[in-house]
Amino acid sequence: MSPSGWCGSPALDMAQLSESVTRLIEEFAKLPGIGKKSAERLTYHVLRVGSHEALALADAIRDVKQNVRHCSVCFNLAEGELCSICSDPRRDRGLLCIVEQPRDLMALEQAGSFKGLYHVLLGRIAPLEGVGPDQLTIDALVERVRTGEFREVIMGTNPTLEGDGTALYISNRLADFPVEITRLARGITSGSVLEFANKEILADALAGRQKF
Amino acid sequence: MSTEKSLALVLRLVDFSETSVIATLFTRDFGKIHGLAKGARRLKGPFESALDLLCLSRLVFLRKSSDALDLLTEAKLERRFRAAARDLSRLYAGYYVAELLDELTDDGDPHPELFDFACETLAALDTGPQPVSSVLMSFELSALRVLGHLPLLDQCVECGTEMNGSGRVAFGMLAGGVLCARCRPGKPKVVSLSGAAWQMLRDYAQSDEKRPSGEPDRRAYGEVRGVLNQYLSHLLGRRPRMHEYLGVLAS
Ligand SMILES: [Zn+2]
Ligand SMILES: [Zn+2]
Repeated sequence: MSPSGWCGSPALDMAQLSESVTRLIEEFAKLPGIGKKSAERLTYHVLRVGSHEALALADAIRDVKQNVRHCSVCFNLAEGELCSICSDPRRDRGLLCIVEQPRDLMALEQAGSFKGLYHVLLGRIAPLEGVGPDQLTIDALVERVRTGEFREVIMGTNPTLEGDGTALYISNRLADFPVEITRLARGITSGSVLEFANKEILADALAGRQKF
Repeated sequence: MSTEKSLALVLRLVDFSETSVIATLFTRDFGKIHGLAKGARRLKGPFESALDLLCLSRLVFLRKSSDALDLLTEAKLERRFRAAARDLSRLYAGYYVAELLDELTDDGDPHPELFDFACETLAALDTGPQPVSSVLMSFELSALRVLGHLPLLDQCVECGTEMNGSGRVAFGMLAGGVLCARCRPGKPKVVSLSGAAWQMLRDYAQSDEKRPSGEPDRRAYGEVRGVLNQYLSHLLGRRPRMHEYLGVLAS
């Protein structure tokens, strides 16, 4: 019954562990991409570090859950009614970019060149996974476009079959509004050579060619 | 553990981590497999964009023991399903092909003939001009035939009496085919088909080029859909998910 397992050997007998340790392992194991072994490693880490450091994690989780919600206009993450983008007067209110998730919005923001507003769908239409248009924020989007003054709506959904399908569904829903609908370009990566590009990717690039 | 290669269609993708996915694939040579693709969402790497839904890809994978996930090591894109660029009903029809392949086939049970026909079906949905209704009916009946679920249509399932299609024909869901007037009484879940609907089912169930490809007659089609929808729901134990999305499958 030596406690040596705590410092390396993962072959811990669960029955020996206290109830709260078991609970923490179980909670970690629920996180995406975390298996049982990783959950045990994270738990040993928490047990090893000082209580100040460990509780900082707990506090950060509590703060996020208490303070962060979805922006009531664009469904981005926000600490309050409106997100920092919707409440920024310098953003171009005629331009709307539709993305699947807040993390896609963050990626575009890090690129830094887009100055318009966003609409976060909180997912994509994935019928085979049981996700239909009603489970996303599409009704709110249509209402936004109806009442807003957008001149262009950019489809920034992922360039996957489901992402493209979601964009097609939305563009059908927006077809009657006097707004230009565009989508992000796709195709050959800058700095690569045509010769080595996959033929399907070349087909994308040709289909999406633009005026010189 | 052995390295295998096969053409494969991507049927399902479930995110496993930020960059990795668990994919369900219908391979030409090994049937349905489930595999982990590490780094599948990365732009560069062994998968590039070859692991999207309904992509036809050349797959390399490591087979694991019976219940462990296979490990996908490489995929090269052969053809992408592009219906999402133009037409929602053709996209949803493609999803339906994936759903049927996933639901009707067993792990590790190869059916190259069905694989090839699924690829042809996706190509037909992608490029047109064949109507979705006709493409899907051909696929459904071919899948049922190859997998041994095709209802018996030419003769009574009970006694073998040849059916001639004069007047209405009784179709027994549980019996798995048509029933003659003598065998029909007392059978549960029997629907009655017009002679035209019965003939349409037989035409589409053929295995060769004689299969029709035009716009099916509306009335008979509605009847056939009714029977086919019930039969598939019975087979799967529930209504296929995509039926709700596909107006052309309404009876
Ligand atoms: Zn906002
Ligand atoms: Zn009989």
